[in-house]
Amino acid sequence: MIVQQLITGISIGSVYALLAVGYALVFSVFNFSNFGFGPVMMLGAFGALFAIEKTHMALFPAILTALAVAGLISLLMEITIYRPMRQKKALKVYLMIAALGINTCVPNFCIQVWGGAVRPFPSDWAKAVIRIGGVVVPRADVLAAVLSIIMLVLLWCFLFRTKLGLGIRASAFDSNTAGLMGINVNRVAAVIFLLSGATAGLAGCFYGMKYSVYPNMGVVATKGFVSATVGGLGSLPGAVISGLLLGFLETIISAYVSTTYRDLVAYGLLVIVLIIKPNGLLGQGAHDKL
Amino acid sequence: MGYIEGIMISACINIVCVAGLAILTGYTGLFSMGHACFLCLGAYTAGILTKFFGVPYLIALLAGGGTAALFSLVIGIPTLRGKMSADCFTIATFGFGEATRVVMANINHPYVGGALGLSGLNTDTTLPKAIVIAAIAVYFARNYAKSQHGKLAIAVRDHADASELIGVNIFHEKLKALAISAFFCGVGGGMMAHYYTYIVPNIFGGTMSTNLLTAVVLGGVCSVTGPVLATSVLTATPEVLRFMSNWRLPMYGLVLILTMRIRPEGLMGYRELSVRPLIRRLRKKAGKHSRDKEVQHGSFGD
Repeated sequence: MIVQQLITGISIGSVYALLAVGYALVFSVFNFSNFGFGPVMMLGAFGALFAIEKTHMALFPAILTALAVAGLISLLMEITIYRPMRQKKALKVYLMIAALGINTCVPNFCIQVWGGAVRPFPSDWAKAVIRIGGVVVPRADVLAAVLSIIMLVLLWCFLFRTKLGLGIRASAFDSNTAGLMGINVNRVAAVIFLLSGATAGLAGCFYGMKYSVYPNMGVVATKGFVSATVGGLGSLPGAVISGLLLGFLETIISAYVSTTYRDLVAYGLLVIVLIIKPNGLLGQGAHDKL
Repeated sequence: MGYIEGIMISACINIVCVAGLAILTGYTGLFSMGHACFLCLGAYTAGILTKFFGVPYLIALLAGGGTAALFSLVIGIPTLRGKMSADCFTIATFGFGEATRVVMANINHPYVGGALGLSGLNTDTTLPKAIVIAAIAVYFARNYAKSQHGKLAIAVRDHADASELIGVNIFHEKLKALAISAFFCGVGGGMMAHYYTYIVPNIFGGTMSTNLLTAVVLGGVCSVTGPVLATSVLTATPEVLRFMSNWRLPMYGLVLILTMRIRPEGLMGYRELSVRPLIRRLRKKAGKHSRDKEVQHGSFGD
């Protein structure tokens, strides 16, 4: 029983971890939280859904489609909304309000266009289960865990082993100075939004496989934000660890206490961590920038 | 109760809530995705007090506001303390909003009524009362904005570190603005409960919070009268454009994005709508007039 819960925890935790990594990436460079990840994740999941339904694609190309769709939409958001605002030196609050606008506009637009119905993810492969001893593991869970790890490792390699990754890390440290040193900050921004959108799309696919695909599924992204905050905003390892932690806590609470209060765990955890360690588990101290 | 009267009462209720939210969003730069939960708390408190304890309407409204302000401290103290980012506050309010709804729907005490909510309240919110309360709310909100507190809040919003250096307590200013805005929303919630005569936890969801925020942002983030004007327009427009009612939420989202993209300070920006320039102009005209008369008299006298 406990092993079963642990496996469920890992699979939902990896969804949170992917989302949290997206938040942490954007936050580390631009110092604002892109609340528009919910819609990106939802559109990624719908991309995979339509790819399978309309063109009878296999599962893996469909997941790649979701990555591409989500990445491009995230990039589109950056180019049409965030970049012009950044260039006008808009306050951070304005960026956040615009992100909230995206968060309200896109899902409700999709409800009007596609209907608010809950759709099952059309993949028979993912629904099958593997039995190991007395433990039943859905293939989707295994896939989620494995692909998330691959994605995170690739991301790490990209950030720490390539020149562009070095540019991103330099911008994360101080984007103005990085710009003075000849790093094209706009290109870094584009890459970051593409990457974080792709991770959100992957998370959307897994969430869709595990539960279902519907226009309001982007609400889950707030839990990704909670994990990113609990881990320390801007810290990638912190984001992964606290995403998994949140996944475990939620499954354990819903299994042994009550499913009604499952959603409150995330916010309770947020408040507790903020009281004890205001900078998050692995966050660095907040710098005073004058 | 006439149809137009109903719309006007809804507009007045929204004005009370938006005046509160404008204080928080405009003057401290914090913004909340869960202010509907303060409406919820205020509505339940006021409703329970009038229904089961026979408390007069106005006192019940104040008690509702007080409860909301008290609960705002629960969310404000952990999230506003220290140098946490505003994002954190936003998500925490969102979480608190959801939590309030879930908890309210699961309390099966006869006073609260669980998911079925509280019904059979008196229709105490009549149009004259609503207008008077809205006017008082706007008056108080403007006074806050013009007072020392409002100026300190602006200092904190514009440069937190610099204002801390000259001795402003950032935490206190933010908490004060939050508690005041929660109080206003609690009063608005109480008015709403006594207008609809029933309340269920589910109406206090994210949609309501988004509506309030849209009004504040569209009206102008550093103004009280701007948002008040915007919410009146936003309440009346869907009634006129009934055929588009399904598209209201996408439109609201679009309004938020476009406002931020084109005119981030909102329609009114940093200005307040005021009758004072009008009065001054009238007085000037009148003054000129009387002086002319005096001159004429003078010339006559000679």
